[in-house]
This record gives sequence, structure tokens and C-alpha cells, in this order.
Amino acid sequence: MSILKKTLSHVGGCCRSSAQSVRTSSASSSGLFSGDKGLILRSQSTDVYQNLALEDWIDSNVDLQQRSILLLWRNRPAVVIGRHQNPWAECNLSFMRRAGIPLARRRSGGGTVFHDLGNLNLTFFTSKKAYDRQRNLRVITEALQRIRPELDVWATDRFDILLNRHFKISGSASRLGRKSSYHHCTLLYSADRSALTAVLRPSCPGIHSNATPSVPSPVTNLLEHAPTLQLDELLNSVIAKTAPKHDIFFSSSKYSEFNFKAESTLVDPDDESAFPGLGQAAAELRSWEWIFGKTPKFRIQATLKLVDHRAFSHSSGQLQMTIKNGVIESCELDVPADWLPRRLCSEVSSVLVGERFCRHRAAASVATMLRCENSDLQDRLANLCDALVAAMG
Amino acid sequence: MAASRLLRSVSSNFYTVLPVLKRSALLSPLRLTCNPHYRRTIASSSRLSTALKFTEHHEWIRVEDQETGTVGITHYAQEALGDVVYCGLPEIGTQLSQQDEFGALESVKAASELYSPLTGEVVEVNTLLADKPGLVNKSCYKDGWLMKMTIANPAELDSLMDEAAYERYIRSIEN
Repeated sequence: MSILKKTLSHVGGCCRSSAQSVRTSSASSSGLFSGDKGLILRSQSTDVYQNLALEDWIDSNVDLQQRSILLLWRNRPAVVIGRHQNPWAECNLSFMRRAGIPLARRRSGGGTVFHDLGNLNLTFFTSKKAYDRQRNLRVITEALQRIRPELDVWATDRFDILLNRHFKISGSASRLGRKSSYHHCTLLYSADRSALTAVLRPSCPGIHSNATPSVPSPVTNLLEHAPTLQLDELLNSVIAKTAPKHDIFFSSSKYSEFNFKAESTLVDPDDESAFPGLGQAAAELRSWEWIFGKTPKFRIQATLKLVDHRAFSHSSGQLQMTIKNGVIESCELDVPADWLPRRLCSEVSSVLVGERFCRHRAAASVATMLRCENSDLQDRLANLCDALVAAMG
Repeated sequence: MAASRLLRSVSSNFYTVLPVLKRSALLSPLRLTCNPHYRRTIASSSRLSTALKFTEHHEWIRVEDQETGTVGITHYAQEALGDVVYCGLPEIGTQLSQQDEFGALESVKAASELYSPLTGEVVEVNTLLADKPGLVNKSCYKDGWLMKMTIANPAELDSLMDEAAYERYIRSIEN
């Protein structure tokens, strides 16, 4: 079967037309990963989980000791957090739910990023020995300078690429395994910056955690500084940089360890016969247990505003929770006893312990409790439960 | 620049590992000369001595008693990683086979997988690392240990490198 199509479409579907097309080849799947030449692959998928699973598939199934691979991919709008991050602290989950933007946790380190079709992702797969993030970033900066010499692009020692020494256009993360490694980076070409700003806000205040925090940076799109730049033009320049023999500007073997073929190959991660097991891996990446359950243990402290609409009175309470593996491990509610009897407060707490730190789950379990409680304090209890659920983002 | 960093890591690695080496190298001949019967004891218990054993993925394990060992990463590894900002460690009770992934260390946006040196069960993790992941850099052989595990199959210790072999291994990587 063929996992490749003879097509001139862009990476991960088409969103922008171009006069210059990327050279694409066709090959059988069995032959794809044989041979000693490096490969440039372009994913046909724009599904974040499929593309992240494709990365892991290549990392575990391809012999990267003799050859390197560059994977180019794009996603429909999605937020991607680092392996050891806290999604409630990093992104606005309720906004994402409303906008239908999925959340993914990757296996590499680093901070939270927003992806859409205006963002190009580049993954450099190499042996651990050949792992060199600055070299990879030079491929990108030199590819950009080659086609737009006027752009001031510069890779920092934190492996970001800055434009005009200030605006971030690319962020990096990597994963090192037994013998292989991958380093992936984003490249903002024409991403929706207003969506980016809206999603990269915390869901809950008052989170105390040792999880890796993101470092917010001012960002910009390449297209805003190079209005005539085409995505394919950029891709071709990156491909030319990594296949030096075919590059008249770099006939020397500056990037000879890549020794990539001068053409890219389109791959479809949805093709189970070409990538056996990838579908299952993508399903795992989609699971609550991976996305939220892998959050490093954290604590949340919040002040709850309590209102009794019938009595026109108000009060406040304190909430403290510890969350381990995404599940509420302990819950302490401190509400004035003259507002709500301690018995009811501790009942609310005990209902939540053992439940996922998820507003829907919490709302469902306290609703069951509310139905059973027939006291005249039901309004205050319902209000407390609403405040609790709201504190969960 | 990369080359000089690697060289530095090799030379500083020697300083850390050598004292351990000298101690064990000195002790063994001394005991052998004092008590000829000791030879058999040392040889038969060498697997379970307090010396460090190393994996090719740069983890070490120190066997403290007959049943459990303490696991950490080597000086070479911590220097190659740079500042560790998060230690992803396993749950107590996790059953591991030799070479299984048991967690990851994060440094400068890189997640580096950790591999179990032996088969066994995780009995303790270093809780200090939650607040002070930098201990892995500052004190990789002592306060920056990662986990303690049971030793289900002591014969597996033979598949690990001793200090001298590990040093040779590092030199071979450099070359």
C-alpha cells in the first residue's frame, strides 16, 4: 500500500495557494525508512494527537542511528502543553471548550504553545549523539535569511528564534530517549495571534505547583514582517538547507549529517498499515488520563464568594485542595458556621475527594448531593457548590 | 564549544567518581592480604557491595543492603542535561523491569527519559526533589538521588558497569 500521494499540496492540508510548489516524491511504505539518506516527511494530518503520535512512532520505530529525519507538520487550532505542565495554570480551558480548541500534552519538555494552520512545526529526529538544537535552529534561520535577507532572525540560548531581537517567532522543546532524540519547534507564519493571546491564560488562579511554568514572550508572525513570503517558499528553503548537495549556496557539507533527500515525502498518520499502532498511541494522547492525569501534583487555594439571594446577604469561604494525578486528594472548606453548618461543608468536601479535578465531574457529584439535601439551606448550599465549581476553571 | 563542554564534563566526572574508585580499589587488596578466606566472601558478595554500578544511559545504582538499591544519574549526565527544573518520578509500588522507563528529568525544555537499572519495585522516591530539582545537579550521587527500588534479580547487577568500565564507556562516547 502507499502512504504517499503524488501531490503538490502543502504540509497538513492546504490553506494558502502558492506559485512555487514543494517537490514531493512517492514511495512504498516498506521502502520509506530503508536506505541511508535522511528523509524529509510532511504529515498530511492536521490533527494534533495524530501528529504527536506520528512523532513518537518515528522515534520508536525508525533506526535513527544512521539517518536523520525532518518532519514538517501543521495542526488545526490546538493548545499543546509541555510534559510536566499544569493545564489549569497554563491555558484557558473554558474558552477552549467554547471555541472547540483541543488540548494536548506532548512528551517533550518546555512550555505551552498555540498551534493553528498558520504555524509550521518542524521536528528534527536524530541519534542522541547527533542531537544539536542550535544546529537545527540554524537550518531555520539560514533558510529564512536566504530568501529574506532583510529579516533579523536570531536563535537564543533558550532555543527560541527571535525576530528583530525581540519578537518570538519560534519556540523549542525536545525529548531524549535511549539512543534517539527529537527536537521540535514551532514557526509562526500567519497564526491567529488574538486566539493565541486568549487561550494562553490561566484557568484557575491560586494554583501552587512545582510544574514547569511557561515563560510568556511577545510573539509575531513572519508574514507581518515579510508580506510576500509564501509558506512553500519557506519550506523549499528549509529543504534546500538540509540537502546541501543540491543547494548551490551550500555546496559544502555544513549540514552533512542530515544528508536529506532533496525532495519531501507526504505521509498519512491515519494509515494504520503504514504506521501500525499509531491510532492506539493517538487515542492515548487524547485520553483524560494522559492530558490531565499526568499533571504534577498541585494545590489550589481560593476565596469563595458566597451569596444568599433570598436573604440579600453575603459571606466568604476559603477553599484548599490538593490534586494528585488530576484527582482531588484532599479538600478543605472553611465557611463560617453561621452561614452553613459544618456538617454540610464536610459533606461537600467528602463528595469531591476522589473525584477528578474537572468542573463537570464536580458539578455532577455535588448535584447528586444537593438533590438529597432538603433543608432550608439548600440555596446557600447550591451557591457554595457553584462557587466551588467556578474555582475549578 | 560543544567539544570543550564535553571535555569539561569528562574531567570533572573523574573527580567525582575517582574517590569512590580509589576506596574500593584500596579496600579489596587489603582485605585479601589480611584474610585469605575473605577472598571468597568478597567475590561472592561483590554484586551486593556498596559500590556504584552504572548503566549505559548514565543512571547509577548503589546497593545498600541485600534487597534494595538507590538510583540516581551520573555527574556526566547531570552536566550534559544542564539545570534540572522538574523531576518526573514514579509512584511508590511501581513494578519495573530492567531498562523500563521510570520517569523523566526536564532541563532547558528537554525531557530526558530515565531507565531502570534493574528489575524491582519502587519503594521510595526522593521527595526533596519536588521543591529542589536542582539537587540532581548539585549532588547527583548523594542528596540528588531519584528513587529506591527492590532488587528482584541480583544477577542483573552483573550486566551493569563498575566505575572503571563506566569511565571507559564515557571516554568511548567522547571519541
